[in-house]
Amino acid sequence: MSMFRAKKLDLGCFVNTKIMRDHTKRKVFAENEAERQALRYIIHNTTLPARARAQAQLQLSQMHCYTRPTQIRNRCILGGKGRGVLRDFKLSRFQFRMNALAGNLPGVKKASW
Amino acid sequence: MSVSRSRVVDLMKVQCRIFSSIFNPTGQRLGNKILRQRLRGPTVAAYYPRRIATFKDLQKEYKAFEMYDETEEDRLESIQIAKSRGKGAPTKKRTAAESKKNKGKKK
Repeated sequence: MSMFRAKKLDLGCFVNTKIMRDHTKRKVFAENEAERQALRYIIHNTTLPARARAQAQLQLSQMHCYTRPTQIRNRCILGGKGRGVLRDFKLSRFQFRMNALAGNLPGVKKASW
Repeated sequence: MSVSRSRVVDLMKVQCRIFSSIFNPTGQRLGNKILRQRLRGPTVAAYYPRRIATFKDLQKEYKAFEMYDETEEDRLESIQIAKSRGKGAPTKKRTAAESKKNKGKKK
């Protein structure tokens, strides 16, 4: 959503719309995480009055979808791909292969036995 | 040898006081597991590398120095070649008359 997006692009990696969107979602999630956790605590606490818990449930479900952690997806920082991304390198499998074979990734070498 | 329930509860109480944890002998769901979770926001938000100073920023900062931007030079060179072959972009039409000149049906 455009209201969350940074006015000036603050990304230093490969940029496309999906990466910008995911980056925005990450920042919005980080901002709202404390509030979400507080609401979740109220919901999970069975000793609190049922009314308060129901209200917290409603409030949590009505928060913007960009504040949800499930909206976030790891993407390749060299190609923007959303599938087959190796978490340790933040690269998609093919980018990983090309960079590993080129020797750009320290400590990675092709297995052979 | 069995220990009475009350003594175990006392022990738990003292344990909770010392380690400042929640005393909850009946095993109620207090939602403390959520309070124990650490906030993932900062690590999640730091996934993509942030924008750092680029070559253009450096040039803008130090205008007095002559710098060689290879990609920019390559671009200018390719434009030069295209123009010399007559394949360059058409010149910008400044007036309405100029822009109308070649319009209409193809003959």
